[in-house]
Amino acid sequence: MRDIVRRAALRVALAASGVICICSCAGNGEGLDENGRPTGGSSTQLTPTLASIQDNVFTPICTQCHAGAAAPLGFRLDESSAYAMLVNAPSVEAPSLVRVQPGNPDSSYLIQKLEGTAAVGGQMPLGQPPLPPATIAVIRQWIANGALQQMTAPGVVPMQIHAIVPAEQAALVPERGEVLLQAEGELNVASVSSATVTLMRSGGDGGFTEGNEVAVQPIRIEVRSLTPTVLAIRPADGSWVADRYRLTISGQGAARMMDHEGMQVGDFSVEFTVAGAP
Amino acid sequence: MIVRLALLAALVLVSSLARAEPYLAVQQGLKCGACHVNPTGGGMRNTFGEIWGQTQLPAKRIDTGDPWTGEISRFLAIGGNFRASATATDVPHEDRTNSFDTDEMRVYLDFRAIPDRLSVYVDQQLAPGGSENREAYGRLWFDNQRFYVKAGQMFLPYGLRLQDDTAFIRQVPGINFTTPDHGVEAGLELANWSAQLAVSNGTGGGAEVDPGKQYSLRVEHIQSVWRLGASFNFNDAAAGKRQMQNVFAGVRTGPIAWLGEVDYILDDSFEPRRKQAIGLLEANWLIMKGNNLKLTAEYFDPDREVAEDQQTRYSLVWEYTPLQFVQLRVGYRNYDGIPQNDLQNRRVVFAQINGYF
Repeated sequence: MRDIVRRAALRVALAASGVICICSCAGNGEGLDENGRPTGGSSTQLTPTLASIQDNVFTPICTQCHAGAAAPLGFRLDESSAYAMLVNAPSVEAPSLVRVQPGNPDSSYLIQKLEGTAAVGGQMPLGQPPLPPATIAVIRQWIANGALQQMTAPGVVPMQIHAIVPAEQAALVPERGEVLLQAEGELNVASVSSATVTLMRSGGDGGFTEGNEVAVQPIRIEVRSLTPTVLAIRPADGSWVADRYRLTISGQGAARMMDHEGMQVGDFSVEFTVAGAP
Repeated sequence: MIVRLALLAALVLVSSLARAEPYLAVQQGLKCGACHVNPTGGGMRNTFGEIWGQTQLPAKRIDTGDPWTGEISRFLAIGGNFRASATATDVPHEDRTNSFDTDEMRVYLDFRAIPDRLSVYVDQQLAPGGSENREAYGRLWFDNQRFYVKAGQMFLPYGLRLQDDTAFIRQVPGINFTTPDHGVEAGLELANWSAQLAVSNGTGGGAEVDPGKQYSLRVEHIQSVWRLGASFNFNDAAAGKRQMQNVFAGVRTGPIAWLGEVDYILDDSFEPRRKQAIGLLEANWLIMKGNNLKLTAEYFDPDREVAEDQQTRYSLVWEYTPLQFVQLRVGYRNYDGIPQNDLQNRRVVFAQINGYF
């Protein structure tokens, strides 16, 4: 009886292995780009621009792990997050370094991780062959050139600003407390000030209609990139009070934020919670 | 001494058992927690696992008197793993690369404040690069070690805990030995059942950035010849909700231990939502004591809505354990993917030395 069961199990296992071998053929890639996404079939050569690096390195290689909810250390390199997560953003593994320091590839943690010289952790991409030196050289060149963001063409629609940290309805961690925003294009630095950026807290009730709201002043607004597209905002003294917050950027009125061509940006607002702040 | 002799005698009766791979548990008909301090497997070996790894796993054991048990005292135990490898990689349209790598040097420490009841566990990776904490948690057992609670930084319970983090079933779900998370885990350990439920930040070890949490549930039924389990994971993240589920199994047919797992993932962090499928089938043939031949077939469909984007990986690995504490692995992996992506079509030959204690 035992032999019968054993033989039956062996047959099942062999059959299963046969099925998986037959069924598990790789795709032929027809109609897909190099990232496996449907496209017209165009292929771009790697050049020292963020868009090119995104298409040739970040998306096909890095986002196998560094994307979405499961991104290691919360570090995402998908197209919508990469720039804000990289440029002048402190590394989690080595907080004294920023991931990309515009103009300085040697001091950029991204390069150290790709070249395997970082003080913490393994060389990236983990478990895969290292990037060819020529590829890393292109990324170095992008950083040396100022780590510029690919600009979208200006149109009649006002330039939009997006919250990278915290995401909509998300909480902010007091210890690493800063709001990270990214504009779709270059901002007029002169219009980036506490006159156009307003940070309010609810006054403890979580709402913003009761009249007990508190304006957080002064605030520190840091332009994080050589081309002014990323803003990091926090209370000037760095201390957050546990409460519900609303950050607003005005693109209208006398005090309005403008893009580099003097056009108003779209109104922006994000609410978030700071819990457990001292 | 009497305890050790009794333990050794028991080990001989139980026959062989081994290191830290799920196939070893299938081969022996045991739970992961039989050999590991951690009930979900991986990391530090317990006294049973240490002695088994010295007496039953290697082809030959050099007599050193009393075996190493890892126990410094009743209250403190240590262990570790060291892996170094030589790898040759062929990527189409690129020159072949050859490299020596230190894959990992990890040390484990289990401080047993109340032996068999309350302990603090640390898994620290010392290399490559600088020191990096992998696990650090407190664990409390209840009811004669049938229930436990862990709190701290830990690897999450999900599917087969293969040592190879590059396997599709480890890399794509993002739950592997490089992505611990902060949270709590409750576990149930019965004779033939093992179950865990964990609640964690869901940030891959990074700081919490949103109010959502990650929930991981894993249930496994174990018999001496076969086992069957299922896992569910839901990450309620601001970056996009992600739901994963799998079924996994193991069966022993004579000298061959089979492992299988099928995963299905719904990921809202992509626009539009992506549905992904992963499969693994692995045969481990115990040729003779100390020699295991591993054949693995893997399948990954990164988007069920897109045709012809599937990837496969086939691996053939010989694991040779000549002596206690030392294992040599020689292997070949063939990646096959869409022709537009050279990296998806690479071939890898590697030799690895694994030291364990």
